[in-house]
Amino acid sequence: METRLCSVLLAAALLAGCSWFHRGEQAPTQIVAEDPQGQPSVIEPQVNRRDVKTPKIKAKDFEVGAYFGALSIQDFGTNPVYGIRLAYHVSEDIFVEGYAAYSKAGQSSLEEVFPQITVLSSSGRQFTYYDLDVGYNVLPGEIFLGRGRAFNSALYVTFGIGDVKFAEQDHFALNFGVGARILVTDWLALHMDVRDHIFESNLFGVDKNVDNIEGILGLTTFF
Amino acid sequence: MRPLLALVLLLQAFHSNLAHAAERHLELVVTQPYLEMHSGPGRGFPVVYVAERDELITVLFSRTEWYKVRAPRGQEGWVRRADLALTTLTSGEPAPIPPYPEFSTHHWEVGAGYGVYNRENLVTAYGDYSITDSIDAEFVLQQALGTLDNRYITTIGLRHTFLPEWKWFSPTAGLGTGFQYIEDKVPPAPLEKSNQMAYVSLGARGFITRRFMWRADWRHYVVFNNLNVSEELEEWKLGFAVFF
Repeated sequence: METRLCSVLLAAALLAGCSWFHRGEQAPTQIVAEDPQGQPSVIEPQVNRRDVKTPKIKAKDFEVGAYFGALSIQDFGTNPVYGIRLAYHVSEDIFVEGYAAYSKAGQSSLEEVFPQITVLSSSGRQFTYYDLDVGYNVLPGEIFLGRGRAFNSALYVTFGIGDVKFAEQDHFALNFGVGARILVTDWLALHMDVRDHIFESNLFGVDKNVDNIEGILGLTTFF
Repeated sequence: MRPLLALVLLLQAFHSNLAHAAERHLELVVTQPYLEMHSGPGRGFPVVYVAERDELITVLFSRTEWYKVRAPRGQEGWVRRADLALTTLTSGEPAPIPPYPEFSTHHWEVGAGYGVYNRENLVTAYGDYSITDSIDAEFVLQQALGTLDNRYITTIGLRHTFLPEWKWFSPTAGLGTGFQYIEDKVPPAPLEKSNQMAYVSLGARGFITRRFMWRADWRHYVVFNNLNVSEELEEWKLGFAVFF
């Protein structure tokens, strides 16, 4: 009887001892949440990688626009001219430019003095040209308007080659120019140019180089 | 005055369309003791504002090697490319300033130049795509302006660059085919106005600065015609190009 009581007490002590040793351990817990429908579901936290996109810097090196002005066609008076231009700025000094324009020649002095003589037909009076130029910003600077306003500007020189179609014939033409670019805003520029288109003509029977000087006013936008 | 006003409105519409396309701007942290902001995109423009270390600047756009930036308190100015490259992103990574295209491995090229074609003055424009570092495909549009006639020439061809790793001068050779169209100026009219042609070429190219390069080319053309004698022409030209 005594031994049975002893063994029961010993067993109880052993059990208590075991539970003492396991006191630090905790049973694994499950987070169970009730979702609105009443169905229990296990939340599995998922963290997505954040996709960081750095905005790109927009390069505004191209310039496109239109111009109008007066073109002095040698022997045929001064006439309005309309053109378009596209430029690419290679560096702060150099740019390349292409432009095309249209004008219509007036009466030559000969035709004015002798009205019965016609030198050119109506379609022959059309004067169109295109040019491919390289430009150099010689004098970059600022232009001040009153006390509080300054506009970036540049005085540039251009040189190029192209084609002049006049008297229904194409002529190889050289052109030289000087111009001023005033940036009214960062994207809008005002241009004032003087250019000479030189080509060889034999319209009056002898070969001669003719100068066709134009003064133009234009607007361009950078993009 | 009216066409001028119309032009301003047109340009404004064109510009605002482009401006809306990219509204988010890059923000960079100044890590050097200071960052100089100039009044214009050029070496001579005065410094109008200095951003301090740890200031957050907004990059608006670039023009050639200059970047227009805005300081936290609204001051705007132009920063040199080399200075902006020393800033970092807010995460601490280096600023993502795109590098200039490497000349020896560039892909696209657009250029124009002057030449002589069959003893006539030549105006030439071309586009070029590099298939590999040493082989490229070129497309040429040109106009030859002579006293007797006026010719439009278009060609397509392949060109090989020997030693593309030589920056300032590397020789090239190529071959291709094309068309010419003759507009006569003085009689008699040519027997054939348009012909197919084939050419071989020898030339050279070299780097100038940033995105700018030069090319020189000599070509020998064989003009295919229905006459008894095949016509042969020579051309040389010198041009400048921008590469991307």
